[in-house]
Amino acid sequence: MTELEAGGAERLAPVRNGTALHRYRDVLIALIAFAVLASLPLLTGSKALLDFVIRCSAYGLFATSLNLLVGYTGLTSFGHGMFFGLGAYSYGLIMQKLGVPIPVAFVATLVITAAVAAVIGAICVRLKEIYFAFVTLAFQMLIHSTILSWASFTGGDQGLRGGIPRPVFLGIDLANHVHLYVASCALLILGLLAMHQIAQSPFGYTLRMIRDNAARASFLGIDVWRAKLTVFVLAALFAAMGGMVMALFVSGAYPEFAYWTISGEGIFINMLGGVSTFLGPMVGTVLLLLLNDTVTRFTEYHGIVLGIVILFFALGLRKGLLDFVAEWYAHRRDAGEGR
Amino acid sequence: MTRTRMPGISRRSTLALMGAGAMTVAAPWVARAQAKTIKIGMPTILSGRVAQLGTSSRNGVMFEVEKVNAAGGLAGRQIEMVIRDSKGQPQEAARIARELVNTDGCEWLIDGEASSGSFAVHEVARDLGVLCVHTCSEASSLTADPKQHIPNAFRCVRQGIHDSIVGGSYAASIAKAKGLKKWATCSPDYAYGRDTTGEFTLYLKRFAPDVEIISESWPKLFQPDYTEVVTKILQAKPQALYSCLWGGDLTSYIDQANIYAMFGQMEVFAVNMADYTALTVVKNLPKGIHSGNRYIKTFPTTPENAAWGDAYKAKYNEYPTNWSWQNATAVMFLAEAAKKANSTDGKKIAEALTGLTIKSPFGADGTVTMRGDDHTLVGYAIGWGTTIPQEPYVPEVKAGDWKTIFELEAEWKKSKGYT
Repeated sequence: MTELEAGGAERLAPVRNGTALHRYRDVLIALIAFAVLASLPLLTGSKALLDFVIRCSAYGLFATSLNLLVGYTGLTSFGHGMFFGLGAYSYGLIMQKLGVPIPVAFVATLVITAAVAAVIGAICVRLKEIYFAFVTLAFQMLIHSTILSWASFTGGDQGLRGGIPRPVFLGIDLANHVHLYVASCALLILGLLAMHQIAQSPFGYTLRMIRDNAARASFLGIDVWRAKLTVFVLAALFAAMGGMVMALFVSGAYPEFAYWTISGEGIFINMLGGVSTFLGPMVGTVLLLLLNDTVTRFTEYHGIVLGIVILFFALGLRKGLLDFVAEWYAHRRDAGEGR
Repeated sequence: MTRTRMPGISRRSTLALMGAGAMTVAAPWVARAQAKTIKIGMPTILSGRVAQLGTSSRNGVMFEVEKVNAAGGLAGRQIEMVIRDSKGQPQEAARIARELVNTDGCEWLIDGEASSGSFAVHEVARDLGVLCVHTCSEASSLTADPKQHIPNAFRCVRQGIHDSIVGGSYAASIAKAKGLKKWATCSPDYAYGRDTTGEFTLYLKRFAPDVEIISESWPKLFQPDYTEVVTKILQAKPQALYSCLWGGDLTSYIDQANIYAMFGQMEVFAVNMADYTALTVVKNLPKGIHSGNRYIKTFPTTPENAAWGDAYKAKYNEYPTNWSWQNATAVMFLAEAAKKANSTDGKKIAEALTGLTIKSPFGADGTVTMRGDDHTLVGYAIGWGTTIPQEPYVPEVKAGDWKTIFELEAEWKKSKGYT
């Protein structure tokens, strides 16, 4: 191991002044966002809109957690979907087999995911670039194959059948559409807030340094392997939260949740929204789901339409939408100040 | 330079947002304005590797819906089908099913999903309480498992267990007549392949106890190259081979096995061969492959069935598939139930459907029944025959006996802990 062991991320001086202020500002924004989302059911009777936001929560948590790896740490994981699937399956199986209260199953799922992610991460994060991408993909296929083959436990390719029980806890009834909606929004906002804290913390800046120059980070005394492993496990936890929201939405878990196409969608969402801004993946999620839902309404040749959109972003903008907007805005502001 | 316009969402996404918003708001109004028609939603697979599942299911549904509409509709209401592509993803199937009911105002669902997608739609039906008829999923557990049972869901599909019982008894009679003792199996490696093969061999050994399975192969679903599998089977030198490969997998397997002249060396039992999607695609269809009937217009040998197959071909320029007749039958059942209930209310239709027997070109005795206790289709024509390389492809089909099927099915359910 070449990394220097001495010291850790906490030795770095706070990067920004007034972090505390920023933290409160973030909490305030999160509260407002939650209030706006939670009041939606009062304003509209559209169940489809609520379904849309629930799905946005699931995919948004997943895609933003992937961005912690791709955008902040430079770890392009092709197998991040395994934790989405793992979250959905762990939660579903615990609820079906043990019948514990929902919060217990939620925490247990996070513990299981953390354990699995720690083992897989310990092997993967030693590798760089394409090797990292391929080994994560290999692990994903391993988990997917396990789900398919272990039919007596997981239901094989037919998934977890018979519905996932949703017992009432603390007056929250997730079988009720509005309750499920509010709970999903709460998980989304909490997840985003937590991930934003991670990204803005000294640890978050350590990740950026590792992304930009891992050797330098190592010479500065940062244990690169440990930092990468930590963010790998953290990202897995938020992906599993996304998986649980999806399992709650469809009242089941299916092997497709752990298939590579889910990871591919995560990468695509990041490309659409942008990886250099925190909310880029969230914008990408909304864009992709909107595109998907509207295009599939009108044509079964949605593949062509989505392909053209990818081309437009890859060749035309050369970055995600929010990256583009942010740069354009900065450019204009600079030009404005220059006058 | 200062401009008042703040950069925000791009024009493109603003337009998309506005469009989606307008649609979301407008859709229930549109639904209410057209309340004289009854909308039936149908999620199915219209793209990707098994797109044929969705397109031939859609054709089967539309073929009958047009007839029902021409005859005055369901209890006076014209049917409007809303059919959407789920891409074979269960989460999309669930989303679309919910959207069809919640936004598009569909009162019933016809579920044209296979495997996991059908279970996802089943959960939506459980959640929303909407009437749902499954038309493509052959997984027996969908209706046999009491945990799955809900009063508003029905299955209008053939079943793996029925096929295995009939296949096992047919194969056993051939095995006894020709002295076939050493058998090999070759089936796709997923739940359907494993379960169906297990059940087939179970019943084969029951009817012909001295049969021995000497080789098993489990190629991956959608595997492109079967050389390894074919040579493995040839080396084992079995007297007979069973396979439940289907669609493109089956046709590529046969094309590749033909190179090794496999079909001259053993008797082959391929349950999914006698479907026009496979029969018409294979380059050199070998003579004498034993197959179950999927859809074939020569079985049942009634003028009604032949006429239905020909009319369908005239309309869509291709022969019906197994999914076509199942989807068509679902519409026939719904139409008959609406007539019986004189209503389109989901609950009343569900009551009318339970135990309903209707006349059908696909019935073993000219009728098919929606069995009351597990809401599943029984009495459909089921049998086995051998292939010839040109039309009618499977000239003679030996019909299975429903009395035996019922007895063994009840036994099987007990062994699974379903009853």
